[in-house]
Amino acid sequence: MTEARPNTAQSVRFRNVGKSYGSGWAVSGINISIAPGQFVTLLGPSGCGKSTTLNMIAGLETPTEGQIMIGERDVTAMKPADRDIAMVFQSYALYPHMTLYENIAFPLRARRRRTPEAEVDRKVRAAVKMLGLEALLDRFPRQISGGQRQRVALGRAMVRTPTVYLLDEPLSNLDQQLRVQMRSELKDIHQRLGATMLYVTHDQSEAMTLSDLVVVMSNGRIEQAGSPRELYDNPANLFVARFLGEPGMNILDGEAADGRLRGPGFDIALPALARTAGRRISVGIRPEDLHHDPSAAAAISGTVRTVEYLGSRSLVRVDLGDRLIAAFLPPSVDLPAGAPIGLSPADPDKARFFETDGGASLHAHRNLAG
Amino acid sequence: MRTLSRIALVLACLLAGIVALGPILWAASTSFKSANRIFAVPPELLPRSPTLAHYANLIAEGVHWAFLNSFAYAAVAVLAALLFGATAGYALMRYPVAGRPAVLLVFLATMAVPGFAVLLPTQMLAAGIGLQNTWAILPILYAGHILPFTVWVTRSHFATVPRELEQAAEIDGYSRAEAVWRIVLPGAKPALLAAATFGFLHCWNDYVTGSTMVDAPELRTLQVALIFFQGFHGRDWGSLMAGVIIATIPPVVVFLLFRKFLIGGFADGSVKG
Repeated sequence: MTEARPNTAQSVRFRNVGKSYGSGWAVSGINISIAPGQFVTLLGPSGCGKSTTLNMIAGLETPTEGQIMIGERDVTAMKPADRDIAMVFQSYALYPHMTLYENIAFPLRARRRRTPEAEVDRKVRAAVKMLGLEALLDRFPRQISGGQRQRVALGRAMVRTPTVYLLDEPLSNLDQQLRVQMRSELKDIHQRLGATMLYVTHDQSEAMTLSDLVVVMSNGRIEQAGSPRELYDNPANLFVARFLGEPGMNILDGEAADGRLRGPGFDIALPALARTAGRRISVGIRPEDLHHDPSAAAAISGTVRTVEYLGSRSLVRVDLGDRLIAAFLPPSVDLPAGAPIGLSPADPDKARFFETDGGASLHAHRNLAG
Repeated sequence: MRTLSRIALVLACLLAGIVALGPILWAASTSFKSANRIFAVPPELLPRSPTLAHYANLIAEGVHWAFLNSFAYAAVAVLAALLFGATAGYALMRYPVAGRPAVLLVFLATMAVPGFAVLLPTQMLAAGIGLQNTWAILPILYAGHILPFTVWVTRSHFATVPRELEQAAEIDGYSRAEAVWRIVLPGAKPALLAAATFGFLHCWNDYVTGSTMVDAPELRTLQVALIFFQGFHGRDWGSLMAGVIIATIPPVVVFLLFRKFLIGGFADGSVKG
């Protein structure tokens, strides 16, 4: 960055926000607290309400209930133009009849900002330099590539110093290689600007790599909010456990008795915290937390269904009779399909226990939502 | 074979050109002939001694005022239709107007009603409210004629403008109205110009409404004024043809200026620029 930027980053708070379209609640009970300068991702499957939540911060949708604060301002009923936010749309939403220069300068030229043209020029040039768009300023959006359009959309957001940046699946229209590249550029930009950024995606690798805080949503509700590590290591419920990770956590539903959890193909010792929880308990173990256990004492035993060789390791799908589980094993474990296999948790402390009914975690976890 | 079909094509085009342009060229030629040469045998393709007498006669008869009337009526009608049509088109696109399909159908239906069917009722209505034979009646009726078309063209264009463009402008610090003015309308220029061109041609070419609604010579449209060269002392072919040529100029100019949009204005919906 060639110029020192005033840090205008602001906090964002949702207080019990809900949005109803008449027929039902698109989102409800949203409580999030975002510190200034944080990179926060709203993550969830399509239709989970993450975009609606973002649009409510932008002012493109009005909450049916609750309150949204940006810094100390209650913006719940404020017009988008008054909120001093910047947004990058999934479609980029570049103005087709304007050159790249005019597109990026557009926010600065709003009547409410009254930016002198010399300053507009200076700021636009600083932004395009940062994004490597200098040579394209006279082009129109239709004359540039998808990756370049994406940069222009970012430039239009960066050219001013908004309180919050909102990014709605900004990388989803790019090819894989470009997406990974833009992902690290985005992280770099966030660190340089020190800005509060809210990012919506259904791609968990984007969420995990970019975020200080990930908010996992489904069916219009927040399932869990926390750091990527917290969510991954200590999911608050079965939804988060299954949703995060590729593949997600293996979930085994069993009957608890005599300090052990038993079900088709497994028999695992219950930790103290799970012993008083009732009979129906599910255990969750990450595929990488399982190791090959040829002994008769293996906690899990089944038959090999498929082996996907990935170079540094193999993804082995194991059939337990009523379900398939996944395990990342060293490539040296070379078993044919149909062979019996024993697996045990590499570190029993990493296994997570959940109530089968309702799915809540039995472990203490810090949920930043609520 | 290729050359043969090429020759056939050129000949066909030439024939079509003669059929289409012949009468106009003949009118142009006639308008520059002195009155006693117009029916000369053999006919003169190019006037041997060209004269501007017929054009001077038009001015002496005050036809230039009729020209200005026509132009003013058309311009006011087109501006009004664009203003109201684009506003309605936008509203019907973006706002949850109750009974929107019905409203659109009514607009469409008005285009299907033949002008003659409503001519007499309109004239009685105009007379009843005291607008007949005034400056206002023709712009109002013309605007009404071209409004449904304008609504349809602009609405279908606005449908192609992603909502996100407006939202982006609002987030960038602009009001809704500013967003429409600075983002939606510039993009709609081809559609607006296409609607304006068609509207202008409709108004300019009108004869029936103009002759029914106004009577006073100082309110006449050009098309009506020219008819008066057809009668009374026998036809004044020279002046009539001069008038025809003058009447042809504005549509030709408008078409040449905006043909790009006329052709593009409708395909425009499919490909966003």
